[in-house]
Amino acid sequence: MKRPLVVALFLLLSLSVIVSAADAPKQGGTFRYGITTNPRGMFNPILNTEVYDGLIIDVVYDGLIYIDASLQPQPMIAKAWDISEDGKEITFYLHQGIKFHDGVELTAKDVAYTYMTILHPDYTGVRYGQFNKLVGAKDYKEGKTDTVPGIEVIDDYTIKFSVEEAYAPLLSTFTYGILPSHLLEDIPVGELEQAPFNLHPIGSGPFKFVEFQTDQHVILEANKDYFFGAPNIDTLVFQKVAQDAIPIYLQQNRVDFIAISPEQYEQVKAMPGIDVYVYEELSYNYICFNMRQERFADAAVRQAITYGFDRQTYVDVIREGFGIVANAPVPTASWAFTTEGIDTYDYNPEKAAQLLAEAGWTKGPDGILQKDGMKLEFEFLVPEGSRQNEQMALLFQQNMEDLGIKVNLVFMEFSAAVDRVDARQFDTFTMGWSLSVDPDPHSIWHSTSLWNDPGFYNEESDALIEAGRTETDPEKRKEIYAEWQKLINKELPTMFVSYGVTIGAINQRVKGIDTNPGPLGPLVDLELLSTIWLED
Amino acid sequence: MWRYIMRRIFLQGIPVLLGFSFLLYLVITIAPGSPVTHLRGVPNLDSSVIEQRKAQLGLDQPFIVQYLNWLGRVLRFDLGLSFDSARRPVADLIKERMPATITLSLASIVLGWGIGIPIGILSARYQYSVFDYAITFFAFVGISIPSFFFGLIQLYVFALKLNVLPAGGFFMAGEARTLAGYVSYLLLPSLTLGLASIAGVARYMRASLLEVINQDYLRTARAKGLPERLVVYKHALRNALLPILTLLGFMIPGIFSGAVIVESIFAWPGLGSLAIQAVNERNYPVIMGIDMMFAVLIFLGSIVADISYALADPRIRYE
Repeated sequence: MKRPLVVALFLLLSLSVIVSAADAPKQGGTFRYGITTNPRGMFNPILNTEVYDGLIIDVVYDGLIYIDASLQPQPMIAKAWDISEDGKEITFYLHQGIKFHDGVELTAKDVAYTYMTILHPDYTGVRYGQFNKLVGAKDYKEGKTDTVPGIEVIDDYTIKFSVEEAYAPLLSTFTYGILPSHLLEDIPVGELEQAPFNLHPIGSGPFKFVEFQTDQHVILEANKDYFFGAPNIDTLVFQKVAQDAIPIYLQQNRVDFIAISPEQYEQVKAMPGIDVYVYEELSYNYICFNMRQERFADAAVRQAITYGFDRQTYVDVIREGFGIVANAPVPTASWAFTTEGIDTYDYNPEKAAQLLAEAGWTKGPDGILQKDGMKLEFEFLVPEGSRQNEQMALLFQQNMEDLGIKVNLVFMEFSAAVDRVDARQFDTFTMGWSLSVDPDPHSIWHSTSLWNDPGFYNEESDALIEAGRTETDPEKRKEIYAEWQKLINKELPTMFVSYGVTIGAINQRVKGIDTNPGPLGPLVDLELLSTIWLED
Repeated sequence: MWRYIMRRIFLQGIPVLLGFSFLLYLVITIAPGSPVTHLRGVPNLDSSVIEQRKAQLGLDQPFIVQYLNWLGRVLRFDLGLSFDSARRPVADLIKERMPATITLSLASIVLGWGIGIPIGILSARYQYSVFDYAITFFAFVGISIPSFFFGLIQLYVFALKLNVLPAGGFFMAGEARTLAGYVSYLLLPSLTLGLASIAGVARYMRASLLEVINQDYLRTARAKGLPERLVVYKHALRNALLPILTLLGFMIPGIFSGAVIVESIFAWPGLGSLAIQAVNERNYPVIMGIDMMFAVLIFLGSIVADISYALADPRIRYE
């Protein structure tokens, strides 16, 4: 990434702030963000694992960078950054004068503390794997050294991170909120997860933490001294809401924004004063084949099953249109999404039957396809608790029966199903993935990956994944991932079923939102909370 | 009496609770699923992290060691730390939610008994009247309707259509905590929870009163010229209440477990959502903490039932 581009983007961003200022946003008021699950009370950006704690963290802390609506990194605490020619060094230049909520200035020391803690041997969180490529990280983690050469504080407002070899996804991971080292550095890292600080967080973000009432709400107040401009609203509330009562809360103006379910769409859309937005997620659901079994090792079988499953009907009827048929593991919302050379596997039972016949499968006396003593009769493991999954399973079973494939449905509680998947004791199963902003598919698809559930070991794929990680030119990276998607689309280690969408309902009194929302929604992942305003 | 209570607690209660805790711990640990399932899909997770987390939570130990560690802490009045990312003390998690759960359960008991008993008495006094048939009919409807369904209907009518009561939840942030507000939030969930017990109590009360109302000693009372009012309320009722008191002891746990479902419909900030979440996540210390607390409550409930038995019936003496 080159600095002039960053500066230009930054100018453009400040310009948009000026333009919206011309509309004279009203000051004050309380914005209520509806949530259906209670946060845990881990309001620490390097230790939380729950989405709902993440909401509070997002507004209490700022990171070095943030991710904008088009999923590109943008300056935040770091006003700019340099990436060296070889892609091995990122230098962040920090704003001067950013203050934590207690008035102490945020400097490079706090940034170093935040990322050093993640690498610490006693660190109890889950982020180590994202930063273990920093120079010296492994030795430090194993307790061999006391320093990490890959994190270098140059002066109070400059910090440099370096990696052993170029690692393209690195930049977009520097979004974690910066912790105040002056409040935490005396606490042993192993005890950090029990520090009272986590329940009374202090960051440098647009909102100050006020109160957390278990199972009720979290209250935050505007940070009037916020470096990037005080928010227009006075108070921000995350209000716990009963899932079934969401439309009532909207109708009674008790929440300003909340995600709703497809079943609630028509009802909420008809309400006066409420706007509904449908936007694409970085997620997909799939049916995974266990390629360790000989019958699924043949790509023709996997392709035939995909041709034979009416995914369009699944999306149109079972998901009521809220979804997009998927054919590769990169969702439409990602910059790496492509349709070029991607086979759409439109529902075609004749083609499916033909593929199976060509592969040597013939109907046995019981009407089930068989070949060399193998049978196309298998278990389909479905986690319980989702109506959509259960109906999909029935449709899949029906479609497969038409082809002479017998599917035995096994409904199982989620955690128990994960046990079976982890132990590789499955024939096929369905689940979904939510993906990070960076399209690097290593975590799920590399031969060495923990979550390579289908057992997909393909040298060409591994080579492309590795090339994508080390390529620093975004255009070339995109080409690599297009190539990789073509390969996956042909191999189909899992059947991609559909990309997910979110439905967000927002009160029309809220002004200054993104009315054409990308994957991060009309509030751009809470980023806009610091600039929206409320009409009376 | 005191000797009886002490004997119940030390000779019966403690061994039973110990045995229960052992079985419960065994069952929840051998059940499939793992407390670290939530780590699945963490981007670029280092494989060492899963093992490290298991070690932190003590999951790398054999079952019996895990159980004895847990028991050792509990004997020192420490329920341990929750397995979720916030690692908060289980005692705190329970303490924060107890007031709401107790309020809801008490309200539904008061509703259930306050309405159920008079209805049952009237129903028995005017046996085979239109009133009696109507009560019987509604009692069966009340017992048969699942609480989640009744809850949703109430939400639809009172919150969505009439818009007179809040749609579940508890006080909105910034809302003044008035008594009227409290009642308005409490009304729907406690009615939902109380409905089945109103119906049940009324039926039990009716049957129990009918059984004594034709006894010889009541015929004697009537024969000596006592007015029917005195016969029923002074002589019959006291005897008829005995089985109902036993019922109370057994209904308390039922009300708490019913509360788990009702709480999740109405987003009531009690133990319900915590319990469900803990089971889904295999959060052993939280499951153990909540279940043991219920076990103790059930046990105490049965003692209370026994004592009130003795208070209501002079013939019963525990020695």
